[in-house]
Parts: sequence; C-alpha cells; structure tokens
Amino acid sequence: MAGSQDMFDAIVMADERFHGEGYQEGYEEGSTLGIIEGRQHGTLHGAKIGSEIGCYQGFAFAWRCLLHNCAAEKDSKKMKVLESLIGLIEKFPYDDPTYDKLHEDLDRIRGKFKQLCSLLNVQPDFKISVERSGLSF
Amino acid sequence: TGRLAAPRPGYAPAAWAERCLPGSSAGARRAALRLRGRTYPAPPAVAPRSLLVAADLRGAHRACLSRGGEQRAGFAAGDSWICKSVLSEGHQRTVRKVAWSPCGNYLASASFDATTCIWKKNQDDFECVTTLEGHENEVKSVAWAPSGNLLATCSRDKSVWVWEVDEEDEYECVSVLNSHTQDVKHVVWHPNQELLASASYDDTVKLYREEEDDWVCCATLEGHESTVWSLAFDPSGQRLASCSDDRTVRIWRQYPPGNEQGVACSGSDPSWKCICTLSGFHSRTIYDVAWCQLTGALATACGDDAIRVFEEDPSSDPQQPTFSLTAHLPQAHSQDVNCVAWNPKERGLLASCSDDGEVAFWKYQRPEGL
Repeated sequence: MAGSQDMFDAIVMADERFHGEGYQEGYEEGSTLGIIEGRQHGTLHGAKIGSEIGCYQGFAFAWRCLLHNCAAEKDSKKMKVLESLIGLIEKFPYDDPTYDKLHEDLDRIRGKFKQLCSLLNVQPDFKISVERSGLSF
Repeated sequence: TGRLAAPRPGYAPAAWAERCLPGSSAGARRAALRLRGRTYPAPPAVAPRSLLVAADLRGAHRACLSRGGEQRAGFAAGDSWICKSVLSEGHQRTVRKVAWSPCGNYLASASFDATTCIWKKNQDDFECVTTLEGHENEVKSVAWAPSGNLLATCSRDKSVWVWEVDEEDEYECVSVLNSHTQDVKHVVWHPNQELLASASYDDTVKLYREEEDDWVCCATLEGHESTVWSLAFDPSGQRLASCSDDRTVRIWRQYPPGNEQGVACSGSDPSWKCICTLSGFHSRTIYDVAWCQLTGALATACGDDAIRVFEEDPSSDPQQPTFSLTAHLPQAHSQDVNCVAWNPKERGLLASCSDDGEVAFWKYQRPEGL
C-alpha cells in the first residue's frame, strides 16, 4: 500500500516538480550567461579607464623629460604638479574594482591633468584613434 | 530647521522709492538705467537681457552685463547713473557674470564662450589684460577672494577652478575641482576665511578649502530639492544663504569641532547644518540671494518678477533663527528678476536686473521697531 502512495505522489506533484527543475536549470544557465556578459562589460569599462589613465601617465612622463633640464623658478610649480599627477596615478589601485573611492580618485586625477595642461599651456585635444576625434573616453 | 516666518502684524512694509513708469515706446526693448523716475536710454547696440549687477567695494561703480555679450560699466555721479563704457570686444557669447576685485581696479567677466576675461580699469577705460581658458564649456560664475589674489570660476562642465594671481598680474590655475555631478551655477568666497562655496544643478552646495597645496571638498550641503542657483554669506561668515529652484531659501550655519551645541564634526572640518528654511514666500524659482554686509538684510530675486527682503527677528534663537518678510515688491520688473546686489557702502541701496532688459535701483528702509 505504501508503494502505491509514493507513485501517486510522484504523479500528482509532477507539475510542480518539473516547474522547480526547469527554474533551477534556467537560473544556472542565466547566471553563467550573466557572468560572461558582466565580464565583457567590466573588461570594456576597465579598459576605458586604463586607457585614459595611461594617456595621462604617458603625457606626464613625456613632459617630465622635457622639463627635466629646466631650472627656472616658474617651472618648479609645473614640476610639482607633474610629480603630484604621477603620484596619484601610481597610487591608484588598478586591481580592485570594489575600491570605494574609485570615482573620487579618478576625478582627482582628471582635475590634476587639467590643471597641468593649463600650467603648460597645452590644449588637451589628442587624437586617440582614427575613428574618435578629440579626447573622449 | 527654523520656523516659517510670516510678516509681523503692525509692521508696514518698507518704503520703496517710487518706480517710474516705463518710458520706452511700446514694443521697443531698451536697456535702461533708471533711478527715481528718470530713465536713461542705453547707448545703441541694445542689450536684450540684463543678467547681473555687481557693485565694487567702494560702492561707486556698478557693472552690468547683458546677453548680447557686452558689458556696461556705470558710474554714479550724484543722483544719477551714467553708462561710462561698453566693453564689447572681449567675448564671443553671453557674458554671464561679472565681479569686481576687492581693490576695485579689476573686473572679471565669465562667459558662455568658455573663457573668463580680466579687465584692468584705467580711469574710464578698461583693458583686457588676460583671458583665462580651460573650462570645456559655458563659464557660469566668477568670484574674487577677499584677499584679492585668488579667483574662482565654475562651469557647465561640472568643475570649479581656483586661480592664483601674483603681483605681476600673472594668473595660474591652482586647482580643478570635480566634486559636483552637474552644471555648477555659482561660486562665492567666504568673507574672512579661505573657504569657497559652490552651488549646482545637482541640488547641492559644496565647500572647499586648501589642504597641502591643493584644494579639497570639505563639506556637501544637501537639502534643497532642486537646482541651487545662488549663495551668499552673512557679514560674519558664520552663516550661508542658498536659494533654489525649489522656491526656498535655506540658511546654513557653521559648527566648528568642539562646538558647544554638540554638533558632530568629522575630523578637523566644521559641520554645516541647515538652521532655517524660508518657504511659502516665493511662487517661482529664486535666482539670486544677497546678504547686506551693512545691515544683515537678505534680498531675493525671483522668477515671479518680484523682489523680497527678509530680516532676522532680533529675539530669535541664533541656532534656530526666524526671518520675517519685511518688504515685498511684486512686479519690480516686468519679467524674471535675475540678480540683486546691495551697495556695500550705502545702507539700503539695492540694485536689481531682469530679463526685461532693465537695471533698477531701490531704496529700502527697515520697518519701524526692527
């Protein structure tokens, strides 16, 4: 008698059981796809930020070489801001996307770069690639 | 927060000078300066919209500017105002704000063409000595620090720039602050500390100070529900008034660390708390607020064409002050009032300008018993 009750149980609950199994399968597949999409998005976004900061760093290194031999008093202020920018870039945690002050520090770097351009009397209007004009990240 | 203050019974509103009737012909829009019934037509090259008036510290000079991209400097001569010069060569687009330097010899003009010009006064003539570039788009405001060697500009590009000027009139950018998340509308310096305040479309007011060769944001004042258009410090610098698109004026107070009211502070920075909100008085956006350095009266410029003056009740608690509306002039202009400014030397003299293209001067008298 116990055996036949199990069998009816299996038939009666079949609908719910299939529903549950289907949901599980879908959830797992969705999670996997979500992770892939998230990784792609993160890669893109991270690359953008990296590219922007890399640009500032290259700019700063180049100017550091150019100003290296200048001993004028005016240039000491430029060197100070230059070193400050390089310092900010080097301190930036590139491997921690959950860093809570990420955007704040990024804004500081951007601000420092703009200030440096103003002191050097350079217009920040570089051409990064053929398709894009101007400095847009 | 403070209580709402209704005009006290028994006070007559302040006496206002009689405003003259419009003298220009119907349909014609002319920028005019008027005082006590006399209208002075502007020189040719009409200015369709007056955006700003600024008085220099000696009270004698006023500069106003217009959408046409020109600036006019008017000088007082007895009882009348005469346009002494028109500066039309500096900017390619709207001049949004002008500011006199503390010494009175320089005028800074902020423009939608993304530049700020510095003009040096030479008797009645002005010469552009420098053009400050760097902002990506429209510069919305410019302000001189009371010390005279710092200048702040802000722009639609969401940044606030601090500039330093040396004895040889050389300007150098000291800091670029990217704290706001939207268009920055106004910057103003504290009257006696090196503290800068900015107001933005992002509904906040931010304060900045210098820290180790750089400027940092040391406080964010939240509370307004819409764009904050303008700011004004009180004569002592302990309080800040802000006006907004949400039709309120808020008064904020500074509480230094270790204050006796027990307001918590983080680190060595003072905290700012909103101690009073003036709501229900304005029916439209409030574009400007001005705090008289001589009398402590607060004037507002509103999109409902009116000018209002508020005074603090002398018996109110300094931590929870109440302000009463002591003067309300509806139809002060025929369109939005954009700016109000108190004369720093003459008590009760208030200037205002409007979208209707006019600059008006008013005499405010405090109600009896205040």
